[in-house]
Amino acid sequence: MPVTKVLTAGIGEADLRDISVYRARGGYKQWERAVRDLKPADVMEACDKSGLRGRGGAGFPTGRKWSFLPNNGKPRYMVCNCDEAEPGTFKDHMLLEETPHLVLEGILLGAYGIGCTHAYIYIRGEFKRGYQIFQKAIDDARAAGLLGKNILGTGLDIEVTAHRGAGAYICGEETGLLNSLEGKRGEPRLKPPFPAIAGLYGMPTVVNNVETLAYLVPILEKGADWFASVGTERSKGYKIVSVSGHVQKPGNYEVPIGTTVREIIEIAGGLRPGRTFAAVQPGGQSSACIFEEHLDYPYDYESMAKAGSMLGSGAFTVFDDTTDWVKAALNSVRFYAHESCGQCTPCREGGHWLERVLHRFVEGRGLRSDLEMIRRVSGTITGLNLCALGDSIEPFLKSVVNRFPEQFEARVMQELTPA
Amino acid sequence: MAEAATEMVKLTIDGVPVEVPKGTLLVEAAKKIKQEIPVYCYHTKLGPAGLCRVCLVEVEGMPKLQIGCNTPVADGMVVHTRNEKVESGRSMILELLLVNHPLDCPICDKGGECDLQDYAMAYGRGASDVADPKQSKPKGVDLGPTIVLDEERCVVCQRCVRFDDIIAGERQLVVKDRGHNDIIATSTGDPYRHNFTGNVTELCPVGALTSKTYRFKSRPWDLNRTETSCTQCAVGCRQFADVRYGTLVRTMSVENDDAISDGWLCDRGRYNIGYLGAPERLTQPLYKQNGQFVQIGWDDAFALWAKAINDARAAGKAVGALGGGRLFNEEAYLLGYVMRALGVKNLDWRTGRQLQASPGANASYEALENASSIVIAGDIAELAPVLWLRIIKAVTRKGARLVRVGACGAAPGFAHTDVTNAGEAAQAVAAEGGVAIVWDGADLALGAALAATFASRSPLAYIASEQSNARGAEAMGLLPTDGGADFTKIAADAANGAYGVLALFGANPLRNAPNAETMRGALQATPFTVVSELFMTESAQAATLVLPAKSAFEKSGTVIDIAGDLLPVNASLQAPVGALSDLEMLIGLAQQFDLALPTSEELDAAVIARAAKPLAAALGEARYATSEPLAPSSSRSIWDGGGTCAHDDRIATLRREPVKVGA
Amino acid sequence: MALRQAQGDTAAQGDTAAQGDTAAQGDAAAFDFAGLAARLRPQCEALVAQYEQPRSALLPMMHLFQEHQGYVSQDAMRFAADLLGLSPAVVESTVSFYTLFFRKPVGKYMLQVCRGLMCELNGAEATMALFREKLGIGHLETTDDGLFSYEEVECLAACDKAPCMQVNLEFLYNLTPAMIDEMLELMRTGTYAIAPMVQTAKPERTWKVGQDAQVALGGKSPGTLNATDPNNAGGVGDASGVIMLDRFVSKDVAFTARSRERLVRDARAVAEIVEEEGANGHAGH
Repeated sequence: MPVTKVLTAGIGEADLRDISVYRARGGYKQWERAVRDLKPADVMEACDKSGLRGRGGAGFPTGRKWSFLPNNGKPRYMVCNCDEAEPGTFKDHMLLEETPHLVLEGILLGAYGIGCTHAYIYIRGEFKRGYQIFQKAIDDARAAGLLGKNILGTGLDIEVTAHRGAGAYICGEETGLLNSLEGKRGEPRLKPPFPAIAGLYGMPTVVNNVETLAYLVPILEKGADWFASVGTERSKGYKIVSVSGHVQKPGNYEVPIGTTVREIIEIAGGLRPGRTFAAVQPGGQSSACIFEEHLDYPYDYESMAKAGSMLGSGAFTVFDDTTDWVKAALNSVRFYAHESCGQCTPCREGGHWLERVLHRFVEGRGLRSDLEMIRRVSGTITGLNLCALGDSIEPFLKSVVNRFPEQFEARVMQELTPA
Repeated sequence: MAEAATEMVKLTIDGVPVEVPKGTLLVEAAKKIKQEIPVYCYHTKLGPAGLCRVCLVEVEGMPKLQIGCNTPVADGMVVHTRNEKVESGRSMILELLLVNHPLDCPICDKGGECDLQDYAMAYGRGASDVADPKQSKPKGVDLGPTIVLDEERCVVCQRCVRFDDIIAGERQLVVKDRGHNDIIATSTGDPYRHNFTGNVTELCPVGALTSKTYRFKSRPWDLNRTETSCTQCAVGCRQFADVRYGTLVRTMSVENDDAISDGWLCDRGRYNIGYLGAPERLTQPLYKQNGQFVQIGWDDAFALWAKAINDARAAGKAVGALGGGRLFNEEAYLLGYVMRALGVKNLDWRTGRQLQASPGANASYEALENASSIVIAGDIAELAPVLWLRIIKAVTRKGARLVRVGACGAAPGFAHTDVTNAGEAAQAVAAEGGVAIVWDGADLALGAALAATFASRSPLAYIASEQSNARGAEAMGLLPTDGGADFTKIAADAANGAYGVLALFGANPLRNAPNAETMRGALQATPFTVVSELFMTESAQAATLVLPAKSAFEKSGTVIDIAGDLLPVNASLQAPVGALSDLEMLIGLAQQFDLALPTSEELDAAVIARAAKPLAAALGEARYATSEPLAPSSSRSIWDGGGTCAHDDRIATLRREPVKVGA
Repeated sequence: MALRQAQGDTAAQGDTAAQGDTAAQGDAAAFDFAGLAARLRPQCEALVAQYEQPRSALLPMMHLFQEHQGYVSQDAMRFAADLLGLSPAVVESTVSFYTLFFRKPVGKYMLQVCRGLMCELNGAEATMALFREKLGIGHLETTDDGLFSYEEVECLAACDKAPCMQVNLEFLYNLTPAMIDEMLELMRTGTYAIAPMVQTAKPERTWKVGQDAQVALGGKSPGTLNATDPNNAGGVGDASGVIMLDRFVSKDVAFTARSRERLVRDARAVAEIVEEEGANGHAGH
């Protein structure tokens, strides 16, 4: 079984929240080395050469994202996105609570790499405990001279502020996050300008996922080549996969990218006895389901795209034959309708409309014309929205309506009884 | 900036080549070829928001449809605004907007001039798959004294919210909650109340925000529209007056009026129309006999007036006329003409605190926007509300510095510096760039000090007059030229019994003048006093002869605004039977003396010539200073000043409450 | 999982800072907001100092006030508006965007059960049905005794331990009917491991406001305020009876509507003449 422990090393074995435990296991060595021996450009180069891609969902190459920052003398910001709320994703939650110093070290390395003196971490409002843990990690690191003013006596200043959200999935969208961090409604911004040009407080900003930044630590420790040697041609390194749903041992499993879908299901204990496989949603609620024919696809960005879905945030939900797909579809659409910020028409109106229609289906009051309407509306609104949220309604819905039409047709009202 | 503006970009829209300046948005570029790109959230004055998604266009080479409102032109760009892909996306947006829209068009005030109706007709699918009940939201929400909100009709374009933030600088209207539960609201318990609320009803592309004054009053196609200029203050905003079967039911702003109003109206300009039909409007001349007013005919009124003038001359008593700041230029000119023809030199338009109305040189409103520093003296926000919007724009969007000298009313909610004199103002302004001075024309010493202090910076100078056509009255010569007495001297002398006839035109000094007590004595001591008014004001009550006047909506003429523009005012309404315009009254009086009057062409020419003539060298250089000092000006509200607001009960609810200190 | 207070995770005791405000419990009128604001002001100012721009401190400040007052009151929002230089409407708009800010009082135990798809695949529906039955209330409602508020929330990011929930934002995993029974019992007797929230005012049926309240109560719009019939001025009277006083009109000085463009053109032309004439005295006399 190809489970590897890179970021997850030590979790469950030692109390990594304790800075002395973390340091005893080699923690903050890379940060010390970076501050003393490396130039920011070295960190940036390592990041770029490693082939690390954003682990938050979009999978954009991290080094390239950093390279978009203009050299215009303005202050730059590094913002760590820990607003983990994509249904099925629970890796950042774990990293934050179990190994906060690794996350902090990653943030510091990232901040140093882009030349930022004030980094922020935006923590989902529900992670109150995680916020407290992380705040303590910041305090302990500060006491150890690892952040704040004159880090390790080198004269370098980097401040890290933990900022807690207050309940809004859309704040995981990077411009929604920046608005929320600025004390505004977490509504995504109209782009352009992109955050690299005008982000937090209008300054050049990079927003990176928790897992992405955390991987900077092993990348610096073992080298970019080590990271790039794992994975597939365009998807490098490791990935924490959050396996959930109808498996025997759900949990976070760190695997080399390219491990097959079948293997991941097996790592998570396989299906429950007597059940048969139906589908996997491989990249969080926003991704389309993949099916039996895709079981031997490698779990990487390209193969998932080829299967008609995406790797996304690494949320890997397994569905067996007991799944009520109509209810699942409603659940998914209801989520987007609930979390729509309401700014733009297709997402606000489309999500809510689809939710109401699917609600009728669940109650067995679907209309035959609704099936066509579901396909038409969810399909047409994709691509018309201000941000990606509205575009995320369709993939799962379409994949299950197309794959399991009989479940939907069974909920169509057979006859209309006059009132 | 200037270089960027001249750089042109060539592109193709629907097969038609278009050349526009670099940076132009597609939605604006399409207007060049008269191709409409529908919009809800986009507005020329508010900029793009990217919310409604109805302005979809296809740009060749881009996989997804783009929004025309936030896509700048690029060289060689090929844009389609009406192909199948665009129509499909656009019709979907319209279908979605109608999912929860109540379709109560038959009873909606917006019906007939509604962008949702129009676009649904032009671009909609024409069929609906909606099988579920529409979402129920609050209807008839009382947002404040002026506006009613129908939440179900709202398409959440946020134009109103952005207007309140960007243009009015108030931030009272916001979106609350989120997703499909979004509502437009104020802070809980706070009414939506400021000087510009009515604009949101025009910005609203649907019938969600409606004016209380216009609700359920008319269909747009029943309205008879006249384009005119607002005469409620001296800014002179371009305005549409919409009349339904003889009743003025609403006034509307003119969106492309960049030079004067920038497309906005203040609430007084929009809502102070109720007085026009007030039952207490004067409609017949009234003559006081034994302390009681009796109704008389116009012929008798003119005869009595003429006789009084002759009697005064015979008795060696003086004759005078005051007021004119609310008259049209033609009327003011004719007032001076007739009076001077009768040998009367005691003429003064001034009856209030304002002593000067014309600055040295004219400066446009648009130029004010681009000043680096704006120095104000007086309560400009309330005296010239729509001009104040320009100041907000200059400060909050163009980085100008605002310096307030002396008492200037309530503090604005954006950066400013308060100083007490011109010298301090000089320290507070930006070292570079243009300076603009906006003064209320009251404290001549302060005006002169400001002019002298900033003379080296060649400042733009504006005088925000209290009365709508003070500048016109001054330009038309309603001043004590040729050795006449100014208004304070007229009042003092008249109080001592030196006057035989005193006429007041559109002036109510007993209510508004700083020397009101002297004026009261003057009206009591003068045997024959004439007041031309719409209502039985305090001054009218003290008069011998009260003449019912036409309102500014009921007559045509011209006025001069703060920037010196000569603006037309066009009659939109018929006056109540029996009321005459001041022009007609003066003609009536002139006839009694067989005076030869100018023809309308001569009058027109005289007005235009005088309007073009600079009157003062600089601020503070009023040619006829007052004989006695006046109390300094105090803060005021846009609803003060004219007496018309008192004749519409509803207006009382519109007045802004006193500014809360430390709230 | 240890539920009883004595065995509980000590860190789960909640915020000691919040304990001090429980004295004012249950009596809304007696709640001394000014006192609370005065006490929290230094903390608020410290939050402001953490950021490059003051407004960023809004969410942390609202969290702080909610911890101490049990909900985000109008007073708290106005205090924040004042401190941060924002309009009260903007603050309320921002607060209303986030589901974790309660704009009205809530129960001492905020039970937030995950309704996400991954929990649903693992029996969340039955869990939610159990809560509704045991509490006698529905989604977004508070029990009459003000002890429990119940909400079905979106994915809590603990899908490997489904079904899951949060009690006063502390996670509970792998819920079973027995756990739920014991938990509710301990909460009722005040011996539960997770500290109750501060309650300074009696909760209503729902803590939601506006449209959300409508959803919560499943009823009709609560907020239909029919504006009083706006009194408008009456008509101008009988227009048909207007008699133009034609003897004045015949004097040729009645003005008809004219275009702004013509006027501007004429004015410009005359302005040029006037400039040329210089100081040639009064025109028109």
